[in-house]
Amino acid sequence: MQSLEPYWGRQALDFVDAIEASKTSASVIAQFERMIGNLGFHAYIMAGIPTSGQSLRQLTIANGWPTEWFELYNRENLSAVDPVPRHCFNTLNPFEWKDAPYDREYDRPAHSVMIRARDFRFHEGFCIPIHYDDATGAISIAGERPHLDPETKSALHLMSVFAHGRLRTLSRPTPVASGRRLSGIEAEVLRWAARGKTAWETSQILHISERNVRWHLEEAQRKLMTKNKTATVAIALVNREIML
Amino acid sequence: MPEIHVVRKDNRHLYEPYFDPYFRWRHEIYVKQRKWMALDRPDGREIDQFDTEDAVYLFCIDNGQLIGAMRALPTLLPTLMSDIFPYLNIRGPIRRSDVYELSRIFVIPERRGEHAGPRVEMLLLTAIMEYGISVGLTGFTIVLESWWLPRFERCGWKAHPLGLPQTIDGMSVLAVLVDCDDTTWKSLCGQIGLTRPILTWRGLAGLNRLALPDISLPPPAFAQPAQ
Repeated sequence: MQSLEPYWGRQALDFVDAIEASKTSASVIAQFERMIGNLGFHAYIMAGIPTSGQSLRQLTIANGWPTEWFELYNRENLSAVDPVPRHCFNTLNPFEWKDAPYDREYDRPAHSVMIRARDFRFHEGFCIPIHYDDATGAISIAGERPHLDPETKSALHLMSVFAHGRLRTLSRPTPVASGRRLSGIEAEVLRWAARGKTAWETSQILHISERNVRWHLEEAQRKLMTKNKTATVAIALVNREIML
Repeated sequence: MPEIHVVRKDNRHLYEPYFDPYFRWRHEIYVKQRKWMALDRPDGREIDQFDTEDAVYLFCIDNGQLIGAMRALPTLLPTLMSDIFPYLNIRGPIRRSDVYELSRIFVIPERRGEHAGPRVEMLLLTAIMEYGISVGLTGFTIVLESWWLPRFERCGWKAHPLGLPQTIDGMSVLAVLVDCDDTTWKSLCGQIGLTRPILTWRGLAGLNRLALPDISLPPPAFAQPAQ
């Protein structure tokens, strides 16, 4: 475990520095594809793992799968039976596809996904789970005979997590463009204003002072750079800061 | 809302009653739950060689109970990264007066994942930025479990890796340097709805503190109509 020859370590750190300096998603993706290509991987996906009612397509951050596989996977909702995304819910650590457990005899749908993947030259794969409090995602990469020694896996882990993070950051609206976000109480006060409540009425509903209500309205107005309460409500609705 | 107290050698005497539960919680969480058996001690407290008078603690206290904490060590002195996990950092040692190393970041189990009010872990992540800005730090080193990285990214903590993740006791771990700056602090305050600084500096009046950037105007002294 200790003191791996740091060749891939340095490569991975250089890669992270480069993508952190990259300003577009296209550039991050190009660098990521080049890097995993060097390691013998020809396909990848970065996506949230769909739960009921969600589709993989809407949760995809970067799609480097062959079109046909992506279509097939979506059409047949294979993420529901694929043992690889399923295993992400049970582990914090990255794993090789072959280590995603399923019952080969009784879990035919799972076995079928693994077999069909081979038609796309996905002979071996590596998966990095991404865990948030309210969602789970993964970066999954595949190839015919990729490098999967401990050092390479470690480098892939680091590069994938940072590429994924960088893509998320780049796709997020910048704070300057979107203005400051309203606090919970400011949004609450605006929701009542949108329903025609006066500051006094809102103060009674929320059990806070009228002065406090006016203060929150003013703050919201300042953040949204509007001139009066009506305009503040209108802009907050358009920006989806509040919903009715 | 819970309070977050800065505890340093200068005011530690005011917090003595909290240290016993603090070290017991560390034993509960790191030895009993996470099974870091190297830290085991027969007295049921987890205290290590870095709990010196130079350590700075943030104690998250709610109704007189310790519910979470974090430890910061000067990188000019020995740290976990320099003494125990040096191989996690291949960029070269970081020993700077403006960088502290964070460790033992925890929230007690019954206060994790709360949805009423800001989450305690987010409060701690915000509070340590406020502390850093106040005392002139520019960064924090941390040895942490790799699964934290996406959470850092999501909340706006900018982490720079210092080496490759490695598996230690079955868990992927890596070393990072995190930026401590106004932007990160302001963004965190916005996310959790803080409109004023959260730290309590009891007994630290003698400490020189730098001004924090403005995150919100104070409420007006007199009621003013909104339009």
